[in-house]
Amino acid sequence: MVPPLRTLAALLAVALTAGCAAYAPPQPWEKQYLALPAMQFDADRLDVKNVQHVYYSKEGAAGGYGVGGGGCGCN
Amino acid sequence: MRVRVPFRAMAAEHEIVVDHDDARAARTAIDAAIAEVHRIEAKFSRYRDDSVTSAIARAAGGAPLAVDEETHALLDYAATCHALSDGAFDITSGVLRRAWDFRRRPPRLPSAAEIDALRPLIGWQRVARDGRTVRLPVPGMELDFGGIGKEYAADRAAGLLVAHGVRHALVNLGGDLRAIGSQADGRPWRIGIRPPRPGPGAPAAVALVDIADAALATSGDYERFLEVDGVRYSHLLDARTGWPVRHWRSMSVVAPVAVAAGSCATIAMLLCGGAPAFLRAQGAAWLGIDAAGAVHGTLDPGAR
Amino acid sequence: MAATERGALLAAALALPGVTAAPGAAAQGAPDAAFVQFKYLDYRDWQPGGRRMRVDNPGFYAVKPLSDTLAIEGSIVYDGMSGASPLYFNALSGASGEGVRDYRTAGDVKLTKWFDRFAIGAGAAYSHERDYISRAGTLELRTWTEDRNRTYAFAFSGAADRIHTESGAAERERKYVLDFLAGVTQAVNETLIVQSNLTYSRGHGYFDDPYKLFDRRPDRRRVLAWLTRANQHFPERNGTLKVAYRYLDDSFGADSHMVEAVWHQALPGGWSVTPSLRYLTQKAAWFFRGPPIGSGLRPGEPYTADARLSAFGAFTPGIVVARDFGDGWVADVKVEFYRQKASWRAGGGGTEGLLPFSARWIQVGVGRSF
Repeated sequence: MVPPLRTLAALLAVALTAGCAAYAPPQPWEKQYLALPAMQFDADRLDVKNVQHVYYSKEGAAGGYGVGGGGCGCN
Repeated sequence: MRVRVPFRAMAAEHEIVVDHDDARAARTAIDAAIAEVHRIEAKFSRYRDDSVTSAIARAAGGAPLAVDEETHALLDYAATCHALSDGAFDITSGVLRRAWDFRRRPPRLPSAAEIDALRPLIGWQRVARDGRTVRLPVPGMELDFGGIGKEYAADRAAGLLVAHGVRHALVNLGGDLRAIGSQADGRPWRIGIRPPRPGPGAPAAVALVDIADAALATSGDYERFLEVDGVRYSHLLDARTGWPVRHWRSMSVVAPVAVAAGSCATIAMLLCGGAPAFLRAQGAAWLGIDAAGAVHGTLDPGAR
Repeated sequence: MAATERGALLAAALALPGVTAAPGAAAQGAPDAAFVQFKYLDYRDWQPGGRRMRVDNPGFYAVKPLSDTLAIEGSIVYDGMSGASPLYFNALSGASGEGVRDYRTAGDVKLTKWFDRFAIGAGAAYSHERDYISRAGTLELRTWTEDRNRTYAFAFSGAADRIHTESGAAERERKYVLDFLAGVTQAVNETLIVQSNLTYSRGHGYFDDPYKLFDRRPDRRRVLAWLTRANQHFPERNGTLKVAYRYLDDSFGADSHMVEAVWHQALPGGWSVTPSLRYLTQKAAWFFRGPPIGSGLRPGEPYTADARLSAFGAFTPGIVVARDFGDGWVADVKVEFYRQKASWRAGGGGTEGLLPFSARWIQVGVGRSF
């Protein structure tokens, strides 16, 4: 494996391990961090659209980030 | 933009901060909130002759006094605090001030006799209430809403801000805070908790706590205390003994509303070693500093 | 001890007149304010030998709450493409259209209605190119637990595409694709949220690339994608780590693994800096044949030399600098650099003879909430 991949895999493992270690769903008044814009998934819709479109047109298959949006030639 | 209005009430410094597109609308909302704080102060202050508190004290030993729904609701709340603290929190215990003078110089501890002399005037279970009236059985008894009123005012002020369309605000009544939403940019309100023993070398804040749509209250031996022979006696008195508690230097609690955060903090101080179990049962997040200066609790003190 | 009565103090506090708890920061409902966003994407790619492709892509996005529980959102994107479509093999130099100039206009609109414990959304999308028209409809359902710490999402979309080239390579060809999504999002604790989505896409019809020599692909495709993401906030650093992993299982055989890590660093004054790194490794499609072009071609059997379906690895380092001006305006600049190389495929086995492919895009955005 190339070194950057190893780094990424390690980061993912650390995050998931940390998650398993502390399962304590927050109370309504403890959601101050979860409400941060940076904590949202796909908060910037236009950015997601643009970037997924680029990868869709340069890589074999796409998916996972939602459905619809319409196809394209993109060849 | 941010509108910040400091003001003074209840013998303390307060501030309301609002993030709003329209500064004039923000100012209108803040004015309404401040008016509400003054209304609650006027109604429940024991220093004002025309307050409900003074009227109840004057009627002590006499006929039942009719009081309004708001007063009854606060008395119901005081009853819950009394029950949950096994009597340590008691709004009839304000009379202990007559023995504990925290302003006296040089400081002096009261004698056991002085405390004992006040005991007949203390005891929530002796307060007679029905749906409309309240009666203190012994002349000289009084009620003190000091442990509840400020936080109640913070929640009411927050409610008024919301009713005025405010989405991002921080109501700070003398260090007891209620946050509406986050800051306008989405970041939570970041609150520093002052060290109970400030001085050279002490940090400006022992912990930073982030809150949004929540309240943070701190109770402790911050300002009103007696120091005799190197021992600090705080103004937090256990109604059952008449003596200050010394297990915690300070207790900060995060809860959905300020009135719950404030009384959780006060009761936790009074319950000493029983505080963690009590706070867990109440579902509150907390940070306590014990007599040795060590930090305990479920709040992450590291946010800094 | 009376203190064992759970939450009694809070219940008593909420009984006081005028004392109410906020619905919670993660309340589900229409957004507070309308938001309008403009982004301009400047995309260029190149390969050894000087081939260039350029896309200028302005796009608008807007969302407007119609009530506390109803919102409408939509976007319009325009792609202006110029330059040569990327070619991956030295052997093919000059075989495909030089100076290609094309455009794509795409728009979508979606209406979302929130209820107490669920929300439904319905949308339509349209994309138009000279030779390719796509129409799609989407239905979404999201439902959450009472404490709002777990959300389930289900979505369905159907697309009908029409492909018709002037050259006659594709005449009124059709492609139909159905997409299904099932996902769960869980707030693990105060600072960690994870999401896992499974999407399944099944299509039939015309999948060929009419502009590529000998290109002939199966007329059915099934793609299963499993995407898992986690966002961990670090309050003491004012930073958020966002990691993602995606596995794709493709009936064409172009299975891939993708990992991504993003660090969002909040800075004073509303600034933020967000470096990111993405890595993808994919297998070649089973009917992909490496250079020289036409090698291994058997009449009547699927064949492609499209480098998208080859075996490679790709890295995307990137950075976003953004500022929230605090008065409703936000702005951001994103720069990403993309590089595909056969030798970067994890475990080796990348397509031999493939030229490295590079791209970079710069995206500038401004937004305003009202």
